[in-house]
Order: sequence, then structure tokens, then C-alpha cells
Amino acid sequence: MLKSIKWLIILLAVGMFFQGSILFAKGDVVRLTYWPSSNPQEIELAKVIVDEWNHEHPDIQVDMQPLPASQSSEEVLLAAVAAKTTPDICSNIWPGIVAGFAEANALVSLDNFKDFWDVVLSRTPEDILETFRSKDGHIYQMPWKGNPIMMEYNVKLFSNAGISKPPRTYSEFMMAAQKLTRDTDGDGIIDQWMGIINVSPVWWHRFFDFYSLYIAASGGRTLFKDDKVDFDNEYAIQVFQFLQEGFKKGYFPKGTLQGNQFLLENVAIQFVGPWDIGFLEKHKPENFEYDFAPLPIPDNTPEPILTYSDPKNIVIFNTTKHPEEAWEFVKFLVSKECDLQLLKICYQIPFRKYLDIDSTFKKYFEENPKMLRFAKQIPYTRGTDNIAQLKEIFDVIAQAFEYCCVYDKKTPEKAVRNAAERCQRIIER
Amino acid sequence: MKKAIFYIILSLVAVAFIYPFVWMTSATLRPEIEISSLSPFSHNFSISNYKAVLEKIPIGRAFLNSLFVSSSITFSVLIFSSIVGYALSRLKFRGRDPIFMVILFTMMIPFQITVIPLYVLMVKFGWTDTYLALIVPGMISAFGILLFRQYFKAIPQAIIDAARIDGCSDLGILFRIVWPNSIPALVTVAIITFMNTWNEVLWPLIVIRKQSIMTMPQMVTLFAVGGQAEQVGAELASAMMLAAPVVIIYCIFQRHFIASMAYTGLKG
Amino acid sequence: MRRSRRDENNRVGYLMVSPYFIFFLLFVGYPLMFSLVLVFHKWNIIGPMKFIGFGNFWQLLHDALFWKSLGNTLIFLTIHIPLQIIIALVIANILNQRIAARGFFRAAFFLPVVVSGVVVTILWQQLYSQETGLFNTLLSRIGLPKAPWLISTRLAMPSIAIMATWKNVGLYIVLFLTGLQSIPLSLYEVADLDGASEVQKFFHVTIPMLNPTMVMVVILSTLGGFSLFIEPYVMTGGGPMNSTLSCVLYIYKQAFYFNHMGYAATLGFTVALIIMIVVIIQRKLVETEIYT
Repeated sequence: MLKSIKWLIILLAVGMFFQGSILFAKGDVVRLTYWPSSNPQEIELAKVIVDEWNHEHPDIQVDMQPLPASQSSEEVLLAAVAAKTTPDICSNIWPGIVAGFAEANALVSLDNFKDFWDVVLSRTPEDILETFRSKDGHIYQMPWKGNPIMMEYNVKLFSNAGISKPPRTYSEFMMAAQKLTRDTDGDGIIDQWMGIINVSPVWWHRFFDFYSLYIAASGGRTLFKDDKVDFDNEYAIQVFQFLQEGFKKGYFPKGTLQGNQFLLENVAIQFVGPWDIGFLEKHKPENFEYDFAPLPIPDNTPEPILTYSDPKNIVIFNTTKHPEEAWEFVKFLVSKECDLQLLKICYQIPFRKYLDIDSTFKKYFEENPKMLRFAKQIPYTRGTDNIAQLKEIFDVIAQAFEYCCVYDKKTPEKAVRNAAERCQRIIER
Repeated sequence: MKKAIFYIILSLVAVAFIYPFVWMTSATLRPEIEISSLSPFSHNFSISNYKAVLEKIPIGRAFLNSLFVSSSITFSVLIFSSIVGYALSRLKFRGRDPIFMVILFTMMIPFQITVIPLYVLMVKFGWTDTYLALIVPGMISAFGILLFRQYFKAIPQAIIDAARIDGCSDLGILFRIVWPNSIPALVTVAIITFMNTWNEVLWPLIVIRKQSIMTMPQMVTLFAVGGQAEQVGAELASAMMLAAPVVIIYCIFQRHFIASMAYTGLKG
Repeated sequence: MRRSRRDENNRVGYLMVSPYFIFFLLFVGYPLMFSLVLVFHKWNIIGPMKFIGFGNFWQLLHDALFWKSLGNTLIFLTIHIPLQIIIALVIANILNQRIAARGFFRAAFFLPVVVSGVVVTILWQQLYSQETGLFNTLLSRIGLPKAPWLISTRLAMPSIAIMATWKNVGLYIVLFLTGLQSIPLSLYEVADLDGASEVQKFFHVTIPMLNPTMVMVVILSTLGGFSLFIEPYVMTGGGPMNSTLSCVLYIYKQAFYFNHMGYAATLGFTVALIIMIVVIIQRKLVETEIYT
């Protein structure tokens, strides 16, 4: 018995050691934990940035740990806030969760740092900054980067089908779709589609279809106005109609197909952000030609065409023991040098003024003309609303999308009306 | 004639149970475009899918975590459940039967009711993202107690009395006399506890968000769900790595596995 | 002397059950009590708790998704339980004959039982895949149209039920086999004397004698149905159109997607209550007195 207890204690002690090994490594230097996003490009970026920072700041050492994998980073962050195991700094913050975290007192208000305004105003366009201001007037998130969602298309598939330029309106889109959705090998099964839209009902997938298209169709509206639901309108209905028609006519496949269908040249378009350039450049086969165009819009909608900016920002969590040092690191993360790395490694667009004319970035954009298009789109983007229940709102929309667009069980009018009513109830609860 | 039909049915069903695993094994070795092929053979076998898994996720670490967590729990369940089972079967003390009823009752509580409050408890203890959250709530099993109680009852009183006369304490009796006479019960509890812990996914998903503490099934689940796998081959390869150790052990000890798992019927 | 021995027994007895007692208080008793607190509160786990009386239960009554998840469980059970019992009974009866390589067959059928549910789910997700899955490839090979296994709202839950049957049936084969082997041969001999046919023997001797096993199979499958989580979580995310949303997946969603701890606890509380009622009813319905 004694022997067994001894073993049990040893086993537990080994576990504790795994656990505690980080604690023992403390010294005089300040140690900060930094969570970047967990996709391979952003991990690489974080490594480059952190290595350089640690090299230059022997007294403030940053420990990089990618955000753990999950269905959504928001889920992980919430669990961390609840358990008070948040890192000092996290750079993968979707503004939609900031309101809730700020209410729960989990974040450091950045405008208390004395050089905050100098730093932020010299970099961030003011109208973008304002969208990230919380209701209490404070700013809890350092604007970092955005990924304007655009229509990516396969140039060869379009030209082979005799279409000279990418469709701009919904009717042009449907006309092209009719030509591009077909059975290429004659076995009676459709094997090429107009586009691919993720049909998973997970809420954040709707950023890249409904929400982006809605911003484009409505000329830049978001879901709420003065804390009231504001999408019960013709634009939302038109977007639903558009998506519904696409699925109904088989222009977008409903099943989950294996592999990246755009890369396999089985689909002609998809709605994505600039990050896909990095992926395609790495994996594309020979003679693969692609380009980007603005999102399709309802007929007779005036230009310019806006889109969702898919913003991700940086926060300092209240659990930090070293807010000043963390702030120093945040400043480094948004420096010109790191912004250039962000462009180079991740193909994502920093929220920075004069990006397209700044000499630091000139060479990069000359070499990557496709990225310039995204940089120029940034002023024509919208983010998300400052609503604490935004995840639930998107879940409601995801369900309406599934019922109406994918499975054609509800009319667009009814789907939009019901969703709007449910959302109103959620924010009033 | 009748026999022949029986063999045909059995063989067909056996194929239905085994072929998916064969297909899966071969699919992990094939390139992506051949994945829909029915036949398990290919000229292009490679281990690139496994390489991709090893590059993308620290699955080795997850394997060790799972091993550590499952062994700790199994070990502790054997010790503590047998202590309680011994007291309930071989000692007479006031309140023994009510206590046994309480234990029976706890077995019938569906986990759905306790899972959220238990998570909150872990948060309050500061145990989330630690091995403690994975191990401690599983350290005693009511099922183990029940089974040990049942088994220990059948041990002849004479052996126990003899040991007591020799001056053995109750713990001494339990570990020196009762344990060696209860190997089948110990094996059963060990196998069931180990398997249940090894295969558990929901609880790790709730309390562990840190990659370095994740258990193997949890990591494989997130690899598939989180879209990190990107390729079906890699997804299947990760599942294969999760299945392989269990299948190998099963093939060696299948008799014990089947006998033990059939015992879980007691649970209902 | 006798008395002190009893006191000693009391002391040692309490000492030996004390680990369980502490454990029970912490990890069963406390959560049960705390669940009773949670159900009356609105709480996002990071802010303060707010007392809302029966608000959560009121919301639950009007929550279409909660009822949907119960309905889905019902669909799962109505397919899973009969399918499982029929297959397990047939195979167990065959295996109960003089069969060569019985051990091999038994081991083969049992293989999916020991493999983790995650593995089975990932594997079957590929088998069910619309364009490249094994099943659809097979179907089109023999000239039948492809089936929308996981994409159709009607088929998705049955597909999961079939997979669950494949995963678990091995265990029930073994349970039935044990049950069959414990039926005294004399019962069959008596039936033979009465001139009973094979079919009659099966329905009048075998089935009644297997009743305890049957009860167990029904109850275990029911508990499994109400605990369904990893299968829809990995395969469908609860879709299409919530047709595979299971009770536990819904609890998980409410708790960890939307931070509704109070509401999630209420769901858990209600589901647990329903499980207990269902199991009691099943016991009453399925269990019969065994006459010998």
C-alpha cells in the first residue's frame, strides 16, 4: 500500500512538474506571454517578431504560444477569461468580443497609456479607430489588421467559358454561373461549380458570405444602428435571394467537398481575404491564374463597392502584471517594420494610413500588385457592431442562412424578418 | 446448408466491421486524389500524411498526456475503489448500507446535470488547463466500488481471519490477501477505467484549452473540426495514430477486453 | 472485547470510505447543489450572476432548438435501439451454434467498441462523404443514385444512428451471447417434447429468457442517445438545419459558444430529469417477470 501511494505521489509530482516548469524559469527579467492566431503563417510571423524583440530586449522576454486550436478562438479566449488564465497580450481579437470582455473588466484600457494617442493616431486611420471605441468611451483594442473580403476568381475558367470580365452584379453573376457550373467529363455528374461557400452552420462562417455581401449590397450598413437591429431591409433580402438562387440552381455545391476546390480548379470563384494569396502562391500548380474583383452586388447598386474588413486587433489582458512592458511590446507589434512582415509573411493588411504611398511598403506592393488592390479597398470596409451578444446574433443569421439559402425551406423575406425579430429579442433580454 | 448460410452471414458482417479499418489504413497512405477508391491497394503509397500530422500538431505530446492521465486515473481508481469496496463488503459498521445506496444512486445521476457546475468548480479551483482537472474528478469510480464489493464478498472469510490473527491491518489484508485473489476484478476495472478515460473527449474539450495539456482524442478532434488538417489524408492519419495503440493492445488481450467490457452491463 | 471490535470496525470502516465521501461531496454533491443555484440565474461566467427566478425554465419551454434536440434524440433512439437489438440477436444466435472460428468473429465484431468514438466518427464522415465517400462510390458502382447521407435533414440523424449501431453492436452481441449461454438447455428440451418449432422456441423460450439483457441493452442505448456529442460535433456541427443537434451538443453550444452558463445548467438539469423518467418508463415497459 505504502508503495502504491508513493507511486501515486510520484506520478502526480511528475504532472505538477510539467505544469510548473514555466514558473521555475522566473528571474529578474520581465516575462510576457503572447498569444497569436494559430494558423501557420501567423505563427511564423509571431516567431519572427518575437525573436527580434527578445534579441533587442533582454530585460523583457516574450514567450509566444499560439492560440490553442478550437472551433473558434473566441471560445478559447472566453474560457481563458473565465479561468483568469489569459496571456498578457493577444493579437487575434475579433472586435465582436471586446464589448463583453470590457464589461467583465478583463481588458486594460489602452488610452490610459500616456503615449497611446500619439502611437495610434500616427498609424491608424481615424474613422477605423472610432469603430473600435467601446461604449464607455475607452479604447481597449489596438487596431491591427484587416482582411477585406473580395471575390477571387480563376482567370482561365472564366476565359475558357467565354467570359471576359468577372461579374459585377447579381444578374451577371448568375449568367456566368450558368456557364461555369457543368459536367466536364460527361459522366452525368456536375464536377465544376461557379463558387464554393462553406455551408457549415458555425456562426463565424457568415462573415465571409452573408455579412460581406450585405455590407456590399447596402453600401456599407452593418447589422445594428443605435443598438437596434437594422438588417430587416431589402438589402438583406436581396443577399438571401442571391445565395438561395445560387444553392438552388447548384451553382454552389451543398456537400462538403474534400480538398481546396479552388486550388483544384473545380470552382470558378470564392469569397476570401488576401490571406489566400499566400496559400495559393505556395500551392498553386503551373499555369494557375487567379485574380480578385469586388463582391457582386444587386443590380443598379451604386459604386464604390464596400466589404467586410474582417478586423483582428491586439489587446492587453487585465491579468498582466506588467502592463507598461506589455504596451511596449504592443507598440512594437504595430511598428512599420512588423507591418511589413505582416504583409510579407501573412498576406494581410495592416490598419495603417497611407499604406499604398508609404515608401517602406512601396517595393512590396510593386512585387505584389494583388495585395495593393486589398490595401486600396481598406477605406471601403466595415467592421462589426459593438454588441456584447454578437456571437449569438451571427448564430441566428447562420441558421436563417441554412434554412433559407442552403435548404430553401423559407423565403428570403421570411428568413430575414424572423432573424431580425429573434436578434431584437436577444439584445433586449 | 444452414451452416453455410451462417458462415456467409458472419463473414459478410465481419467484412463490414473490419473493412472500414483496412480502408482507413490504406487511405492514410494514399495521395489525396485516390481517396475515394474502393480498393485498398495503390502504387503510390507514402507516409506523407503522417509526416504532415507530426508537423502540424504535437501529437506525441498528446499521446504522453493521454497515457499519463489514463494511467493515473486507473491507478487511483484501483486503489481507492478497492479500499471502499473492501470496507463495504468485509467490514460491518453503522451506516454501511445507506452509504452503499448513496453510491448506487450517484451512478444513476446523468452527467448532463453535473457537467456545467463541475466546469465552474474547476474554474474556481484554478484547475483549468492543468492535469488536475483531467485527473482528480475521475479518481474514484462508483462502478469500480460496486464491482469490487461484489467480488470481495466471495472471498472466503477464513483467509481474511487468518491474516487478521497474524496481525495484519485492514489495508494490509486488502493489498496482500484480497488483491492477489481478485486479479480478474482488478483487470476488469483497470481495462474499463483506462478505456473510458483514454476515449473521453467532452471533458477535456471543456477544461483544457492549452495545447500542451491536451489529450490525444481531444487533439485529434480539434485537428479535424478546426480545419487544421486541410487534407482528408492527414485527418485520417491522425485518427489512425489515435486508434493504433488501442487496437494493438486489443489484439493481444482481446479476451480480457471482451470479458471486461461485457461487465459494463452492470452499469445499467 | 466484542464491543471494542465493533467500534474498531466502525472507525476503520469510516476511514476507508472517507476518500469516497470527500470525493462525493466535492465532485457530485457540490455540482448538484450548485446546479440548483445556476438554474435560477443568468450568468455569463465572467460577470456577476443575476437572479432571474424561473426565467431559464420559461425560456426553455419556448426554445424551439431544445425541443428539436429532444426530437432528434427520439429519432436516433427509434432507429438505433431496434436495429441494434435485431442485429445483435441474430449474430449472437448464430454465434451460439457450433461455429468454427467463433473467437475470431466475436473479436472482429467487438473491434469498433474499443476504438475511440472520435476515430469512428472521422472514419465514417469519410465513408458518408457525398462525392468521394465509400458508400456513394459503392452505390454508383452498382448503378444506384448517390445518397445525401449527411447533407439531407431526413437522412443525417439516421446516418449517425447507423454509425452508432456499427460502433456499439459488438458489445451487445457479447451481452446477448452471455445471456444465451446462461439459458438452461432443459428449457429447450421441454419445448422439444411439446413439439415446438425452432421459431416457436425462439419466441417462447429464448426471447423471454433474454429479458434482463434486453432491458440492459435498451437502457444503455438510451443513455447513449442522450449523451450523443462527439458524433454530431465532428461530423455535422449539429446541421443540416439542426437535424443532428443533440442534447449535449446544445448544452455545449449554450455554455461555451454563447456563455449562457445558467441556461446551459437548466438544459442539463432538464435533460437529466427526462433521462431518469425515460429510463424508469422503459424499465416498466420492457422488464417482464421471468417464469421458470
